[in-house]
Amino acid sequence: MRRVDRWLGGVGWSLLALFALAAALGPLLSPHDPTTMDAPMLGPTASHPLGTNDIGQDILSELLHGARFSLSVGCLAAGLSTAIGVLLGVLAGYYDRLGFAVMRVVDVFLAVPRFPLIIFLAAFLRPGFWTLVLFFTLFGWMKTTRLVRSQLLSERHNGYVEAAVAVGADDWRILVRHLLPSTLSVALVQFIVTFQHVLLAESGLSFLGLGDPTVKSWGSMLRYAFEYPTIFISDVWVRWAVPPGLCITLVVLGLTLVGFSLEVWMNPRLQGKAG
Amino acid sequence: MNDTGAKIAQYTVTVVVLLTLNFFLPRMMPGDPLSYLLGEPSADAPMLLTEEMRANLLAYYGLDKPLLGQYWDYLGGLARGDLGWSIYYNAPVGSIIMGRLRWTLLLGGTAAVIYIALGIGLGAVSAWRRGSKSDVGLLLTVFSLGSWPPFFLGMVLIVFFSYQWGLFPIGGAQSAQAARIGGLRQVQDVAYHWVLPGLTLVLTYLPGIYLITRNSMLSVLGEDYVRTARSKGVLESLVLLRHALPNALLPIVTTVAMRFGFMIMGTMFVEVVFAYPGMGTLIYEAGAARDYPLLQGAFLVTMIFVLALNLAADLVYGWLDPRVGRERA
Repeated sequence: MRRVDRWLGGVGWSLLALFALAAALGPLLSPHDPTTMDAPMLGPTASHPLGTNDIGQDILSELLHGARFSLSVGCLAAGLSTAIGVLLGVLAGYYDRLGFAVMRVVDVFLAVPRFPLIIFLAAFLRPGFWTLVLFFTLFGWMKTTRLVRSQLLSERHNGYVEAAVAVGADDWRILVRHLLPSTLSVALVQFIVTFQHVLLAESGLSFLGLGDPTVKSWGSMLRYAFEYPTIFISDVWVRWAVPPGLCITLVVLGLTLVGFSLEVWMNPRLQGKAG
Repeated sequence: MNDTGAKIAQYTVTVVVLLTLNFFLPRMMPGDPLSYLLGEPSADAPMLLTEEMRANLLAYYGLDKPLLGQYWDYLGGLARGDLGWSIYYNAPVGSIIMGRLRWTLLLGGTAAVIYIALGIGLGAVSAWRRGSKSDVGLLLTVFSLGSWPPFFLGMVLIVFFSYQWGLFPIGGAQSAQAARIGGLRQVQDVAYHWVLPGLTLVLTYLPGIYLITRNSMLSVLGEDYVRTARSKGVLESLVLLRHALPNALLPIVTTVAMRFGFMIMGTMFVEVVFAYPGMGTLIYEAGAARDYPLLQGAFLVTMIFVLALNLAADLVYGWLDPRVGRERA
C-alpha cells in the first residue's frame, strides 16, 4: 500500500508541476493572442493546433491564458485564506480570550452556506480577478483556523513548550519558533483542499456566466462551447469542450492525489502501521 | 451556556446577517432603483418616464422611504411569505420558487441519499480490506472519477448516452406527454429523466464521502477497543458494524454537513447542463435576465434550506454522540 501511496503522490505532483509550468509560460507558448479573431470554427491546423472557436479565436491560446487565470485565482485565494487561517488559529490557540472571540466569528462564518452566497454575490457584482480572490479568501479561512487552534491547544502544554517558557523565551519566540512549525502539515492539506474548491467554484461561476465576461478562463470556455447550438452533434466538442474540461479535471486530480499522499504521510494510521 | 443555546444563537445571528445582506446588496449596486424593479432599459424597451411618473413609482414601491423604513417593510413582507415580484416572469417570486424547488429536491435529494449510503458502504469495505486489490481498485476508480467538475461530467454523459447512443433524454425533468397522462406513466418518465443528471451527481459526490469514510474507518480500526473486541472473539462483521462504524460516522456527519452548500452548488450546475427546471436553472435564468427580485428570493430560499440541513446534521450528531449536547462543566 505504501508504494501505491508514493506512486499516487508522484503522479499528483507531476500533474501540478506541468500545469504550473503551462500557466507560467502561457503567453510565451500561445501561438496567438486569444482575443484576436481568425476564421471561425477552423479544424486543427498547424497554426491552430486545436482549431478556432465560433468567433475565430485560437482554442489552444485560450486554454493557456485560461490556465493563468483559473490557477492564479485558486492559488492566491487558497494561499491567502490558509495564511489568515493559520495566523488566527495560532493566536486563538495561544491566547484564550482572543480564542473565544475568534471562534464565535468562525461559528457564524461557517454557518453561512458560502458557495450559494458566492453565486449570489457574483450574480450582483460580476466579479473580476481580485473580487473573486477576495470572496474566496473571505469565506475560506475558517476551517483552517479551527484545525490550527485545536492543534495548538494540544501542542501548547507539551514539554518542549514549557521548557522554552522556563528558559525565558518570550511569547513571540515560542509562537514562531516552536508552535508555528507544528501547524505546517495541517496548513498544507488545507491549502490543497481550498485550492480544489476554489478552482471548481470559479470554473462553475464562469460556466454559469457569472464571472468577468472579458476574461478567458476554463469555465467560460466551457460555457461558450456548451451554448454553441450544434456542439454535441458534430465532433467539434472533442477539440472545444473537452480540452478545458479535461484541464480542470486533471488539476483537481493532481491536487487530490497530492492531498491524499500528504494525509497518509501525516497520519501513520492510514499507512497501516497500527491495527 | 449549553451547546443547544449556543447553536440557536449562532443560527439566529447567521439568519439575521443573511437577511440583511439580501436586503442591502441590491441597494448598494450603482444605478437607478427603478431599473432594478422594472428591468434595465434596453434598445427595444427604453425607459421613458417623466419625473412625475418616476416619483409615483418610487412612492408606490416604498422606495422614497428612508432605508430603515424599507428594511422594516421588507422584513414584514417576508413574514407574510411575500418574496417580491419577478420582472422576467411577471409573477410572484414565491410561487415561481415553489414550482422549481420540488425538482431540485427530487434530483438533489435522491442523488444525495444514494451517494451518501453508497459512499459510506464502499468506504467501510475499503478500509476493512485495506491494501487488498479491491481497496486499491476502488481508490483508483474514485480518484479518477472524483476529479470531474459536475458540469463537464454531465456534458460528456449527454454526448454518449443521449446523442450517440440515444439511451436517455438530453434534458428536462419530464416530457409534456407523460405529464398529461399522469400516474405510473409519469413516474416512469420522471425517473427516466432523472437518470443522467442523477448519475452525474452520484459520480461527483460519491468519491468525497467514500474517502472520508475510508480514512475515518482506518483511524477507528486502529483503536484499542476494536482490538479488544477482536481479541475477545467478536465476529469480524459485528466488529465492523457495531464497534467501528458508529464511531467512524461522527467525522462523516460533520464533513457532509459542511459540504451541503458545495453539493447544492453542484446540483445547480448539473441542472443547467441538463436543462432541469430546478433552482439552479432558475438562478441561471434570473442572472442572465438580471431579474434581481427573483435572484434575491432564490438566494434566500437556498440559504434557509442549507441552514435547515446543517441544523438537522447538528441534531443527528448529538444523537450519534451522546457526549455532545450535555451541559458543559
